[in-house]
Amino acid sequence: MADVVPAMLPMEAAERLSALVDLHYERLYRLARRLVPGSDDARDLVQETFLKAARSVAAVPLDAGAAEAWLVRVLVNIRRDEWRKAEVRSRYDEAVRLSPQVAGGQEAALVARATVWRGLDTLAPRRRAIVVMHELEGLPIAAIAALLGITAITVRWHLSVGRRELARFLEGHGGRQ
Amino acid sequence: MKTVSDLLRDADPLRDEPARGNEERNRIRALVLEAAASQPPRRASPWQRRRPALLIVAAMLAILAIAAITRFWSGGGTTLHAAAVRFEVRLAENAFAPGLRPARIVGSDGVVYLHAETVVTNDDILRSTVVANGNGPGFGVAVTFTTAGAAKMARATASHLNAPLALLVDDQVIAAPTLRSPISESAIVSGNFTKPEAERIAEGMQVR
Repeated sequence: MADVVPAMLPMEAAERLSALVDLHYERLYRLARRLVPGSDDARDLVQETFLKAARSVAAVPLDAGAAEAWLVRVLVNIRRDEWRKAEVRSRYDEAVRLSPQVAGGQEAALVARATVWRGLDTLAPRRRAIVVMHELEGLPIAAIAALLGITAITVRWHLSVGRRELARFLEGHGGRQ
Repeated sequence: MKTVSDLLRDADPLRDEPARGNEERNRIRALVLEAAASQPPRRASPWQRRRPALLIVAAMLAILAIAAITRFWSGGGTTLHAAAVRFEVRLAENAFAPGLRPARIVGSDGVVYLHAETVVTNDDILRSTVVANGNGPGFGVAVTFTTAGAAKMARATASHLNAPLALLVDDQVIAAPTLRSPISESAIVSGNFTKPEAERIAEGMQVR
């Protein structure tokens, strides 16, 4: 009898998962980085997204575009779940309270950038994702709607409210000068 | 006054981050494959179910294989025609890494990841004979390598202990035993084959 052969992953699944990581890692990282405070958080978020795909590879659509949308939705939902956890939220609140002191001695431009990003932190994850995809990734509303599986009207609404919330935050924190 | 869009673009953390290398992507890929491999067996996946054409092709291949085997064994009895088999030995891994090719082990759901380089081929085999497995049912194939083949095996296996060594017949991985000690002049492929399977492989290995 031959010695043990421990890897027991059907080849098709292995190839599909490898291709998913190759095709979508960069795109997911860029989105994740703009949804969370730091690059380590972004890496964790992307990793958790792909692990979810690994655990339910049969649920990932075959088409590359549909697979991307599936992964983006999973990523945003994971972020939303994190957001909802009271512990995470309280950590975030503490970080928001502390960060002006941290940034206090830095250059004005850095402070302004930190303030903008803290403003973005106040948006709920899906709204933030919509703002990021539209404002930073340049995606049209229809594309965002398709990615997130929601209507264009909902996207427009989130975009409008998100911009207002952000502007209000910035005006209240001297970040819009 | 700047717009919200301008402010967001100015504050985008990706503007200052260096380009990401492949390390993180490779790490996640390995992690994902490991996680998937540790999942309990699942039913056929939807994408498989969505491809009836695959089933048709598989059925046709099965019919062709049966026809070929029938023809192969048409002489009856135990005389085996020495049909050439393309034999290769390659180093393999249990986990994916860049540059490796996944390959299913025939007759199981197992997958190993093959190195691109071939260690030895038919040309490096001096002799191959069927042997009974020492500690269980089934048969194996004892292989003696040529001098050149032995040198290649010794070089390749010395630094690959406790990792799989893939044995390929006609580009199919027929076994991937774990390498327990370096191999040079000879080796026993103890794949738990039936006697006819072992005979086919042993005789086919020597047909060049």
